[in-house]
Amino acid sequence: MDIIVCIKRVAQTAEADVKIDSSGKDIVKDRLTFDMNESDTYALEEAILLKEKFGGTLTAVSLGTVQAEDTLRIALAKGADSAIRIKAEDFEGLDGYKTAQLLKAAIKDLKFDVVFTGCIATDDYYSQVGVTLAELLGVPHATLVTKIDIQDTKAQVHRELEGGLIEHLDMTLPALFTIQTGINEPRYASLIAIRRAAKKEIKVIGASEIEPTGIQANASLEELFTPPAGKRAEILSGSMDEISAKVAGIIKEKGLI
Amino acid sequence: MNTEVREAIIESGGDDVIKCYQCGRCMAACPWNLLGGLNYATYRFCQRIKLGAIIDSEEKEAIAADTIDVFRCVGCDACKSECPRGVGLSDVLRAVRRILVDFDSYPGELKSVVARLFNSGNPLGEPAEKRADWAEGLNIPQYTEACEYLYFPCCFPAYDARAKKVAQASARILKRAGISFGIMGKDEFCCGEAVRRVGAEKVFQTAVKQNTELFKKAKVQKVIATSPHCLVTFTREYPEYYDGFKTRHAVQVFDQLIKEKKIVPKKPFGKTVVYHDPCTLGRQMDIFDEPRAILKSIPGLNLVEVPVFNREFSVCCGGGSMGLWLDWPQDERLANIRTEQILETGADILCVACPYCLHMFEETMKSMDVDIEVMDISEILEASLD
Repeated sequence: MDIIVCIKRVAQTAEADVKIDSSGKDIVKDRLTFDMNESDTYALEEAILLKEKFGGTLTAVSLGTVQAEDTLRIALAKGADSAIRIKAEDFEGLDGYKTAQLLKAAIKDLKFDVVFTGCIATDDYYSQVGVTLAELLGVPHATLVTKIDIQDTKAQVHRELEGGLIEHLDMTLPALFTIQTGINEPRYASLIAIRRAAKKEIKVIGASEIEPTGIQANASLEELFTPPAGKRAEILSGSMDEISAKVAGIIKEKGLI
Repeated sequence: MNTEVREAIIESGGDDVIKCYQCGRCMAACPWNLLGGLNYATYRFCQRIKLGAIIDSEEKEAIAADTIDVFRCVGCDACKSECPRGVGLSDVLRAVRRILVDFDSYPGELKSVVARLFNSGNPLGEPAEKRADWAEGLNIPQYTEACEYLYFPCCFPAYDARAKKVAQASARILKRAGISFGIMGKDEFCCGEAVRRVGAEKVFQTAVKQNTELFKKAKVQKVIATSPHCLVTFTREYPEYYDGFKTRHAVQVFDQLIKEKKIVPKKPFGKTVVYHDPCTLGRQMDIFDEPRAILKSIPGLNLVEVPVFNREFSVCCGGGSMGLWLDWPQDERLANIRTEQILETGADILCVACPYCLHMFEETMKSMDVDIEVMDISEILEASLD
């Protein structure tokens, strides 16, 4: 089975004090740590598990600057056979559509049965790349995948829906899956594999290797800003009983029950 | 044998492995082996590294178990004090961690702390602007060249609601004694001790750069630290980059102030107190007598010791090397073992001299539902002053 996993290096902003830079279109990154996007770590693990089960090849692909090669090396250390970096510095205005087009350009000549992406990136939260890439590749897709069982060219897939529901799909490979966190337990890398990965060659492709015709964004970033503080927040004070009574009163008053 | 793995670890600072002859004394000294059944085979680390056979499995579960074991060490150096060859096993494991951290192959809880510390300058992720809030109302000046000492509170006493009381008590004692000191507030960065021990060397270098530039600019020459972790880092690690200042722990200063009669503990304390030696203050900085001298100078205070496991044989609270952020199962917590030893003394008060110990024991006392109060030595001393 030949597998491709798309991964992204993102700033860890979950607990950080995020500031907008002077361009107004990006955040200040000099005091942020970077790591593989969270759901991509689960996508990578799912890819490794499939490769362990069925054999074949596993290629990791990332659109990013040279630092993304560090993230690709993590994929190599954990179990990817080869890695491709698409030079983000060669392309401007990267929205979800353009990113998917570039990923397609990088993998279109590779054999694949399954393509994995994370379900969402924790920097821009677009959730567009996986589904757009599937469309561009002309393969079926399932998003927010929480379980995959593959028999020959058939895949039984679980998707996470709202309200705790699970949707069960039967799909035919080749297909693309965007992976939800929690589907598996991402592994650590062994030291031997880390040393090996540190020396592995990463294929780098950019504007001179990718035919630019038709590759374009369909959305452009105008501005990043911090939303103004809401005016309707009210902090209730008093003892637990008093606060509870006030909350109950507000709910009744608004006719919510 | 994998010589490449061995060389990489040695290059990252693990050269002590060469000295080890696997006598096993480290394993007997390691606090993790006071837990029944864990069998933390510390004596095997060096030999495995010499063979390049560490975290070398092909199996996912075995790799995970080995990785967790590398991050289990709290850096208490109980092993080093017993080792006939002086092997610094915590430094050896730090070398392994550096390689793993560079590859982001380490526990997520620790990644979050490293990210917070790099971003905000403290492991709690609190805003730098609030770093001096603990000192509100105490009239402590911003440090200038005119001050004799810089008081460096450590991140926990600067931000944590409970630990703030330690910084406040310490500052009030220094003021009563007429010590000239100031604070840096928002410009100060975590000393970086834990982040270095965990292997995040690049973040440690950021901490060193920010603090040493600050100290140089302000012409800081003498520092008083509340945390022995800051003390050991400023004393042993920073001189490689900048050695223009000397650091003393608060207990050293308090002890001297009592001896010089600049403060006189007069109010009877009337309680039985057991003193817990923090690993970094005791074993690592050889400061055992000063805290005991302070406690003995307080009238009515009955000082007791944990039998056997006191002074250089003290057992770690589990908070070092970011252990504070690792959530071990109940039966795998060093603080629980130490608490049981402490409870056997029958003391009313557990006296600590380290913000990590304070936090670890406060949390442990809550989870074990036991009746003993945890106080920092500065709080006990202040209570005995008129």
